Amino acid sequence: AALCFQAFLQMCNLPVRVVCRANAEYMSPSGKMPFIHVGNQVVSELGPIVQFVKAKGHSLSDGLDEVQKAEMKAYMELVNNMLLTAELYLQWCDDVTVEEITHPRYGSPYPWPLNRILSYQKQWEIRRKMKAIGWAGKSLEQVLEDVDQCCQALSQRLGTQPYFFNKHPTELDALVFGHLFTILTTQLTSDELCEKVKNYSNLIAFCRRIEQQYFEGHDKEGSSSAPSRAAKKSLLR
Amino acid sequence: EVPILISEDTVISQPAKILNFLRKQKYNADYELSAKQGADTLAYIALLEEKLLPALLHTFWVEAENYCSVTKPWFASRFPFPLSLYLPGRMSREALNRILLTRGGPPLYSLTEVEAQIYRDAKECLNLLSKRLGTSQFFFGNTPSTLDAFVFGFLAPLYKVCFPRVQLQEHLKQLSNLCRFCDDILSFYFRLGVSGHSPAGQDSVDANLQKLTQLVNKESNLIEKMDDNLRKSPQHPPRKLTTLKLAAGGEGSSPPSRLSP
Repeated sequence: AALCFQAFLQMCNLPVRVVCRANAEYMSPSGKMPFIHVGNQVVSELGPIVQFVKAKGHSLSDGLDEVQKAEMKAYMELVNNMLLTAELYLQWCDDVTVEEITHPRYGSPYPWPLNRILSYQKQWEIRRKMKAIGWAGKSLEQVLEDVDQCCQALSQRLGTQPYFFNKHPTELDALVFGHLFTILTTQLTSDELCEKVKNYSNLIAFCRRIEQQYFEGHDKEGSSSAPSRAAKKSLLR
Repeated sequence: EVPILISEDTVISQPAKILNFLRKQKYNADYELSAKQGADTLAYIALLEEKLLPALLHTFWVEAENYCSVTKPWFASRFPFPLSLYLPGRMSREALNRILLTRGGPPLYSLTEVEAQIYRDAKECLNLLSKRLGTSQFFFGNTPSTLDAFVFGFLAPLYKVCFPRVQLQEHLKQLSNLCRFCDDILSFYFRLGVSGHSPAGQDSVDANLQKLTQLVNKESNLIEKMDDNLRKSPQHPPRKLTTLKLAAGGEGSSPPSRLSP
């Protein structure tokens, strides 16, 4: 998620410095990451950040007409509804991943027993939410199928264009890039999720294009983003 | 669990499974859509679930006056005793739970703030749908598709049910193309017999509205699985609306006027 907004700010040509903090969740006004700190203002989550940047005179979606704006918002919800929820499911509801990756990673800044307590608390919170939206009963295969369906829709929408709304990137491009890049480069217990995305060559090309255009030369800052990144691998596998 | 489809000996529940079953029987409303339109369908359904559904759940199940005077008696009248005493309350608690878990949390600290936010989002969602629909009859031209069914399922109960607290309903009524969209579908696909009023007429109207409401309130995954293999195989194309227009021309009072508050 940190990558989405980093990509967005780079696309707006705004200079950004990424800093890692163990207590980032507590500093954020909404408890969610990422957040930006500009002057004496703190804004979190992609939606409000986009609004904030727009209020300061920078916008990526001004050139879109009303129907296109509606479409962009719908696709952003699709990414949140499917990709983000699937990522959370994998991180917190798949027992193997939880034991081997999530618990150690989430609790790493804290001493025992705080690390276990905090990560169990977070897990309980996420599982409650999954139950409320009906994802608790899903199997891993069903979740992967949902991811595949979402990627298929994104791939069909993107087609052969460089960005989702042709020549210029918008917040949708930043959001999709952030999620797909994370899926492609984060090491999990199995490669199934990664393989689902790799089936769509235009999505891989899209990620590569954005990485080259907005992150080349910013590699050092990019690789220090978000403590949640377990291992970074080149997309050129 | 509702909705349920009963076909001969088969009973299927959950919207996604029902749609899958219908597709396997070669009924597919999206047969003529392009790949991009199919993708748009998924995206707009996600928009409905994320931005409109919380406010709908609130209007029906959490807003005290609405729940006590309309929703609870309505649902209670359809459940057998003693479930009628317990189930509506449980559905109300589940709705509130869902709203708070998905939309609550800092920086929104009170229920009032969450309510304000979800209604703002719902109004924005209605505006977006209205802009997307424009002057077309349906979302993808002149024939209805799965997206039209989903949008109708979300909007029609909000449009037609008489609530004491009508914030969102008032906003919807200002969007004339969405109202026209609902009225069209109601008159073409939900019309009663040619004779008009029948003793069972009002009951079936209530039953239809209840089914629509239950579809809205369903907490399971409403996004249907697009089966590529089925789309490639020969399908029945959807009914063209033009033939129904001719049939509807000779009718007397139209059902929507009976349903309107």
